[in-house]
Amino acid sequence: MTQMFRMASGGIVDRSRTIGFRFDGRAYQGHPGDTLASALLANGVRLVGRSFKLHRPRGIFAAGAEEPNALAELRTGARREPNTRMTQIELYDGLEAASQNRWPSLRWDLLSLNGLIAPLLSAGFYYKTFMWPASFWEKVYEPLIRRSAGLGRASREADPDRYDTMQAHCDVLVIGGGVAGLAAALVAGASGVRVMLCEQDFVLGAGLIGEDEAWRSAALERLAGMANVTLLARTNVFGAYDANVVGALERVADHVAEPGAFVPRQRYWTIRAGRVVHATGAYERFIAFPDNDRPGVMLAGAAATYVARYGVHPGRRALLFANNDAAYQSLFTMQDAGVTVAGVVDPRADSAAQAAARARGITVWSASQVVGTAGSLALSGARVARIGSAGTDTLVAADVLCVSGGINPAVQLATQSRTAVAWSERLASWVPGAALLPQFSAGAANGVTGLREAAADGARAGAGASGAPADALGLPEDRPSDVTVLPFWEVKGSGKAFVDIQDDVTADDIRLAAREGYKHIEHAKRYTTHTMGTDQGKSGGLVGAAVLAEARGERVQDVGMPTFRPFTSPVTWGAIAGTSIGKHFAPTRLSPLHEWHVKRGAVFMDAGQWVRPAYYPAPVDGDGWDSVLREARAARRGVAVCDVSTLGKIDVQGRDAAVFLDRLYTNTFSNLPVGRARYGLMLREDGIVFDDGTTSRLAEDHFFVTTTTANAGPVMQHMEFYLQTVWPDLDVTLASVTDQWAAMSIAGPKARATIERIIEGLDVSNEAFGFMAVADATVKGCPVRVFRISFSGELAYEIATPAGHAQTVWNAVLEAGEAFKIEPYGVEALGLLRIEKGHVTGAELNGQTTAADVGLEKMFKKRGDFVGKVLSQRPGLTDPSRPRLVGVRPVMRGDQLRAGMHLVESGTTHSLGWMTAVTRAVELEGWIGLAMLRDGVARIGSRMQAASPLHGALVDVEIVSPHFVDPENARVRV
Amino acid sequence: MSVSDVVKADHLTPGAYGAVGGDPVRIARVTCDVVQVMARKGRAADVAAALLASHEVVLPGPGAAAEGRGMTALWVQPEGWFVVAPRAGDGVLAGALKASCGDAGSVVDQSHGRSVIRISGSRAAWVLAKSCRVDLHPSVFGPGRVASTQLFHLGVTLRQVDAVPSYDLMVFSTFVTSFIEALCQAAEETGYVVA
Repeated sequence: MTQMFRMASGGIVDRSRTIGFRFDGRAYQGHPGDTLASALLANGVRLVGRSFKLHRPRGIFAAGAEEPNALAELRTGARREPNTRMTQIELYDGLEAASQNRWPSLRWDLLSLNGLIAPLLSAGFYYKTFMWPASFWEKVYEPLIRRSAGLGRASREADPDRYDTMQAHCDVLVIGGGVAGLAAALVAGASGVRVMLCEQDFVLGAGLIGEDEAWRSAALERLAGMANVTLLARTNVFGAYDANVVGALERVADHVAEPGAFVPRQRYWTIRAGRVVHATGAYERFIAFPDNDRPGVMLAGAAATYVARYGVHPGRRALLFANNDAAYQSLFTMQDAGVTVAGVVDPRADSAAQAAARARGITVWSASQVVGTAGSLALSGARVARIGSAGTDTLVAADVLCVSGGINPAVQLATQSRTAVAWSERLASWVPGAALLPQFSAGAANGVTGLREAAADGARAGAGASGAPADALGLPEDRPSDVTVLPFWEVKGSGKAFVDIQDDVTADDIRLAAREGYKHIEHAKRYTTHTMGTDQGKSGGLVGAAVLAEARGERVQDVGMPTFRPFTSPVTWGAIAGTSIGKHFAPTRLSPLHEWHVKRGAVFMDAGQWVRPAYYPAPVDGDGWDSVLREARAARRGVAVCDVSTLGKIDVQGRDAAVFLDRLYTNTFSNLPVGRARYGLMLREDGIVFDDGTTSRLAEDHFFVTTTTANAGPVMQHMEFYLQTVWPDLDVTLASVTDQWAAMSIAGPKARATIERIIEGLDVSNEAFGFMAVADATVKGCPVRVFRISFSGELAYEIATPAGHAQTVWNAVLEAGEAFKIEPYGVEALGLLRIEKGHVTGAELNGQTTAADVGLEKMFKKRGDFVGKVLSQRPGLTDPSRPRLVGVRPVMRGDQLRAGMHLVESGTTHSLGWMTAVTRAVELEGWIGLAMLRDGVARIGSRMQAASPLHGALVDVEIVSPHFVDPENARVRV
Repeated sequence: MSVSDVVKADHLTPGAYGAVGGDPVRIARVTCDVVQVMARKGRAADVAAALLASHEVVLPGPGAAAEGRGMTALWVQPEGWFVVAPRAGDGVLAGALKASCGDAGSVVDQSHGRSVIRISGSRAAWVLAKSCRVDLHPSVFGPGRVASTQLFHLGVTLRQVDAVPSYDLMVFSTFVTSFIEALCQAAEETGYVVA
């Protein structure tokens, strides 16, 4: 049975080539130009999925993005993509797809028994499960719902394909490549402005196929010849954002088995358009009638599309159920293509199309409706009855039931741009009103139908958008097509009448929601899940609104529609993530000495965006702690060097630079002599400590400020903010020089002996270059700036040099220190040394602590204002019982401390503080730590317990001064 | 060859990479000095006059660059410019500019703090558009135009050098390895050549 429903001719599939594909493991054949849906129909496959909740059998219902049923898991393995619309999947050789939500198989789905317990799965069932005993949720409902409800399965493997992004600009963006869009692009393109046209289909002008092929090919040829026009097929504009910025997804390589080398599978476009033309077309809507979801029930326009575009008979014997004349054209197209016509069921008493149908020999049941369908896994017929008649209905045999309740102009993107909609009595639907932004709606999206009228409307929009005259655009030929409808939404009867076929929402569900108080359209939507599927209610949204309107006793137009939001169709996460995955999730920042650290075999750690050496393992080290302790001992007993290039550095110049710093810092810089450095503390406006660091005065009007690594950016922003908005009168310039200067800290009793061997042009003796001195010099001819500052608590110097010289200077330091067994030390040893010294870092300056909390209250100047001063005096911040910085040692020196441990009175469980940082020490035996402790200063000398219930750890500890090493700060001054 | 094999530290290994048979872009490091010049409060006219005299440059306004004697000035902030010139000795350019401006301007050497990468070729703008929000179309951008923007999550000073087109992308030096990797990855689709 090879393509037994394929017509011998017709459509734009390439019958000269046959391609193979598999659906649910079975092999089929189709042609290039097919979608998976058209190829399945060509092969007579009617049952393609099971419904979301009730597991009812479902068939292909539409021919585009509005498809509710025919969802597939496309491809296999790592490339498996769930919930793809078979109606949009372009067939390629070797395609593999599987139906969804069936177990164990599509034909024998055991969970279709859900239909028997359907009363339990009514509107809001999900929420109602919450109301029953809480213990039922985890044990009963969630596992049950998870097994039975749901869509496709995502692949658990890493996606092997790449996804890319593109930023684009144009004068005129035409959304939609139907006849109106093509006409708009032709007119705008001819004017010479930059035009982009996005069409979600892989074919442009598809509606012209079988109607006016000549116009279509001429239009495409002309557009292709315009250098200023970019045509993007396979590109769905999924969202409209502020100021004519739209998002679009281009399916670059979804139509091949594997993308070519370096070709992305999909591309996420951000398009900034001057003017937008919405030529998004319209979606045909269905009518809710009992069992309107049976495989074989299909939108009338979709059925005609399968015939005209794909050369496929969607069935052998077609019945039409429609309330408008335009839908008859679909039936006529099918009849002309050889499909047997069973007749037309029309709720209207009479119409021109009814007469035309009768003239074609078609039976027309006027003033009638379809009250039910027959068949199980496929349609075998429909039951037809006269409206208002109490008599029996007639069973009409048909294997395809074409439905049309009118059309819904695709106003999604227009309303996302805040264009109000207006009710069209003629269409019984919403049409766009006046646009708020420079936008134009055209064609069916504007409620203008018929190829000729739509093209003229598109040309008008293209002219408006480009400022060009809509001259001499030939219009396509078309057939009479009147979309005026008799508003007709639902046929009441026994059996489920769906208003959202994908989400298994029935008309009764909508009424139940209304009865239970969810009468607002937005509430009814969320209570029932109406319009929340991949199709976003394109065909059934208004039908559900009409049912709700009736339940409320109001008109449809007074009920309104739920707000349309991005995305109009699903977008894969891969496309949203784009290239920002793995190590490219965020940029990494490397010290100019990074390569040396790599060669040295450092173990690295992330510090914000920086990658820094944690420690440098040596062959003698048994573990990481051995390395860290070895490095720290070198700093305490000999000499060690640390790469501190990551510190933030800001060049501050100007006549008012000193005044500026006085206002920003709690302490004073205006009295700092040139050639000296000073530690500074900065508060936030709310009085909490912001950052700390040293600032050096290089000239009367020139300072060099350092910040912590983490706060380099925020401090710069803070400075810019004050300079630009609060004190714009100050003569101050700022420049970030973090990247300009590499810096290294040489620490230890042998630090001076080390650097005096290499420093040229500067006497670094204690007498000539005392603690906190700053001066320029050279090392191996490289310019350096030497700072006598210490973070470790040892005699220490920082040498800064322009980054390109970092390696030369670093090597010189190592060479000079060789005699003293110099060791490079990493961030772990740096932390060890600062904890021993009792210096605070981000662990203590955590955005919750005051200067007094961390023992820095003496940093406040006596006179003069500074940022944060006023609010730092609030009672809550000056409460003497606030947690204060203390040191902690285990009574049993071998006991381990852990960061985050709580401090409690022995035998109690009430937390009085927490450990901020811990380390094994080198100057003392065992572990030490810093903590924030309530009444901390008063508790120094007492014993408490440190508890980590997570680890089951409880340690007896002593509360001590946070300054474990050299509390008099004598070592730095020798 | 993956991007991380091409980019070692901030060094680019010469060769042709990515897609073949197309129209590859060229990617290269540009060695240059960069000095940040900012006018002191109310002294922009003095800085302009000083640099016109010393470097024969008319300091440009927003979004523009201007050529002077042996240097190019890029507008990067209100009354602030980057002066870019072929690499000379340490501090030579900064010293000359400071001597010219005197107390009318703050002069900060950024020669090591900023790195410049050049991308050129007929598809250079297309490659950049994968991340660049600035419209680089010839009708709105062109040689001599400058934009401070973001590329691949990083702040970039972008200057169009010529009509090829070629663009110089100035980034913070500590991010340059990460930046080049992202740029090269973006250029794989067209292919790229490192000379």
